Amino acid sequence: MENGSITRCGDKSGTLPSCAPLATGYVPFQQKDPQRYDQRDALSNGTLFPGLNLPFHLAVPGSKVPAGNRADLQALCFVVAELGLYLDTHPDDAEAFALFKQFSKMAKEAKADVEKANGPLTQKNTADFDKYCWLKDPWPWNYEENEVK
Amino acid sequence: MFIYEKKLQFPVKIATPNPKLAAFIISQYGGPDGELGASMRYLSQRYAMPYAEAKGLLTDIGTEELGHLEMVAAIVHQLTRNLTDEQVKADPAFASYFVDHTAGVYPTAASGFPWTAASMQSTGDVIADLTEDMAAEQKARKTYDNILRLSDDPDVNNVIRFLREREIVHYQRFGECLRMVQEKQDQKNVYLYNPAFDKNRMAKG
Repeated sequence: MENGSITRCGDKSGTLPSCAPLATGYVPFQQKDPQRYDQRDALSNGTLFPGLNLPFHLAVPGSKVPAGNRADLQALCFVVAELGLYLDTHPDDAEAFALFKQFSKMAKEAKADVEKANGPLTQKNTADFDKYCWLKDPWPWNYEENEVK
Repeated sequence: MFIYEKKLQFPVKIATPNPKLAAFIISQYGGPDGELGASMRYLSQRYAMPYAEAKGLLTDIGTEELGHLEMVAAIVHQLTRNLTDEQVKADPAFASYFVDHTAGVYPTAASGFPWTAASMQSTGDVIADLTEDMAAEQKARKTYDNILRLSDDPDVNNVIRFLREREIVHYQRFGECLRMVQEKQDQKNVYLYNPAFDKNRMAKG
């Protein structure tokens, strides 16, 4: 909340007040305008922000995300969700909100592409199709869902 | 309300069924620090939140956790698909799950203890709840660390790595939210009132 007036820390660090009430918990606030991955790397790493990427020593360096329009959509939706959580605690960051709007628009377009190719993503959107194709296999948890066709 | 989207948050594609792995990964579905507990904890706590930032964050993270619950279920489902009787007999840990649930997905800890609301809290106290939520994210992160120790399947670890990183991001956001909440309290004593309950006393000052 006090960001801005304080000297900028490194990207893996955040701001703390110089004095604070005793017996309270303090996590450093992530600073505005943090470094960002592109959407594919964001999904692959599980965060949009390199500063918050803190992997376990046994983990592979980045998760493999398959190619294709479904994974593209997952990546765009992930960035929207990640920026949403950031904005919940940084609601006044206008730049982040502009980015949120940009990615929401891209996700909406990608959603339309996926629906055109694979069928509706929500039951409601089945109304845009010629017949009731909502039940069509595979469902998201099926192995075949992620097979490259 | 909630609307279902027919897609996972992150792709789950496990090439090789492996009931042994499924028998402990099920803990992140219905274990004490699993995704069912996470989603129920946050989505229940939000009603007593006195501040919009906390209502929003608990709603948004709670909703994401429902997506993680589905991902963990997808891992367990794919690890246990097309099993033979021999494969089940060969793995005692999975056989004890199998006798009750076959290859169905059931919310239980790896130890066999069924999911219980006793592993979570909704205290009606904003500082107590957010502090619990930070601990919950760390406990889930620890479980994912331990799954990475036990699993050598790259398809599984691919997903587990993603879920583990989400715990760290959520910890950061809950920590920021706790600070926003504490800054709204009396700075000489943040514990003077429970802002969700002592509304009349706070108005009198």
